[in-house]
Amino acid sequence: MSVRALPSEVPARPVPAAVQAVADYFYQIWRRRYFWWSLVKIDLRTRYRGTYLGLGWSLLNPILMTMVMCLVFAKLFHQPLATYAPFVLSGLAFWNYLTGIVMDGCHSFRRGEAYIRQHPAPLAIYPLKASLVVGIHFLMALVVLLGTVWLARGTVPWHALWLLIPALGLFAVLGWTTALVMGVVNVWFEDTAQLSQVVLRALFYVTPVFYDGEMLHKHGLGWVVDWNPLAACLDVLRAPVLHGQPAPLSAYGFLAAVALAMIALAALLLWKVERKLIFYL
Amino acid sequence: MALIQLEKASVEFSTRRFKNVGLKDYLLKGLFRSRVNPRIVVRALQDITLTLRDGECLGVIGHNGAGKSTLLKLIAGVYPPTQGRCIIRGKVAALFDLTLGFERDASGWENIRYRAYLLGETPRTLQGKLETIAEFSELGEYLEMPVRYYSSGMIVRLGFSIATAIEPEILVVDEILAAGDASFREKARRRMQEMIQQARIAVLASHDLKSLEGFCSRILWLEKGRMQMLGPASEVIDAYCQHYGTPRPRSQAA
Repeated sequence: MSVRALPSEVPARPVPAAVQAVADYFYQIWRRRYFWWSLVKIDLRTRYRGTYLGLGWSLLNPILMTMVMCLVFAKLFHQPLATYAPFVLSGLAFWNYLTGIVMDGCHSFRRGEAYIRQHPAPLAIYPLKASLVVGIHFLMALVVLLGTVWLARGTVPWHALWLLIPALGLFAVLGWTTALVMGVVNVWFEDTAQLSQVVLRALFYVTPVFYDGEMLHKHGLGWVVDWNPLAACLDVLRAPVLHGQPAPLSAYGFLAAVALAMIALAALLLWKVERKLIFYL
Repeated sequence: MALIQLEKASVEFSTRRFKNVGLKDYLLKGLFRSRVNPRIVVRALQDITLTLRDGECLGVIGHNGAGKSTLLKLIAGVYPPTQGRCIIRGKVAALFDLTLGFERDASGWENIRYRAYLLGETPRTLQGKLETIAEFSELGEYLEMPVRYYSSGMIVRLGFSIATAIEPEILVVDEILAAGDASFREKARRRMQEMIQQARIAVLASHDLKSLEGFCSRILWLEKGRMQMLGPASEVIDAYCQHYGTPRPRSQAA
């Protein structure tokens, strides 16, 4: 059963009703799990269909970039390759996740337009699908990263890998909400994807992807990394994988706060456009 | 029990002259000013009041742009009513443009799966239906191929076979009776007829007055988004033909 009415006609809801609405929304997403999951599978299968390496193609980019950066920056920063290669690869793996989320997120609703026009389904499933595809690529890059760590050091900090669970959880929430927000904004302004590419390129240089954040601290630019959620993302990823220890608690706290803010923003946008987005497409 | 209840339901499309602009143009050309970029309101449906209960089949007629498709999409839950109320009870299956929404790089089989999932099937319920769908489409080994290489007729066959394999309580069909080549069209017609009889409520929009009169108990005549007439099929078709001075088609039953 579904009863539809204008948002303005709905009286101010007491909290339990809002909780009910949220639970119902997630139930609707869950109910359609076979649909979005098969879209994820089709996307992964068809993107590399008929190519030699299959999904492996997606790993080529970070690996090649790592090799190039090692060539230049390991020297420049006076770092041994065994330290620098896993460092850069971890940075690039995360960066590819971020750009993938932003770009695929931007196009998520437009790609789903044909479905949105034919069947009522929660809008959040389209960014969810996009972020799952990007997330699976990221998990594969993570495996390559662990392999690189093993090659470079002869050992992997297995004891600390459980610390990846909170990190990946945060990445998943941040990824889904970011993809959703970008998707909605891109429906309003269709050059959002292009503009965000410019912004991402700028962010790349103020985020310690290929240099150590400590270097900025030494030059009095510590605030650039201290207030950068992307730097915190790199911290929670690198600390367990590269150093076998948890990141500072402040990094987890900071990211959790950012994730809550993104959830609030995504929920607000959905509440505003869930029923109306189709008129903008 | 299935139920469709519309109370003074309206659908308004509010758009602007420059739609889908970039942020750059929006700021530089000042498209946020209403003088530069005026709002355009299209009243696609106005004050539709309608109740359909179990066992009813409603035909919707009217010229292009009269609001038939919008009404069907309102009932299917694709559009929200911008005014009034719209209550739908029951599992809805909507057959709109069957060529839309295919993953072109995926094979026919993959497309059958995810489209059926979108319509509410699960792997378990789909198990028995896969063969039926494949058989009905008559596409045979073409189903292994990416849909990209299908002809438009093959896509329609596939879309129709999937969409009609489920058993909805409410069936919404937009001008679908002409699908595929002659032999398939006859088969599709029979299938459609079965589905309409099995569904508790059916809503059909068509220009084919003859078929509608055969299927429907009542007909709604839309004119510029408003209800021109709602009543027994033969009466509405009489009035419609008289109004436009077109010859009255004979009903199939007659």
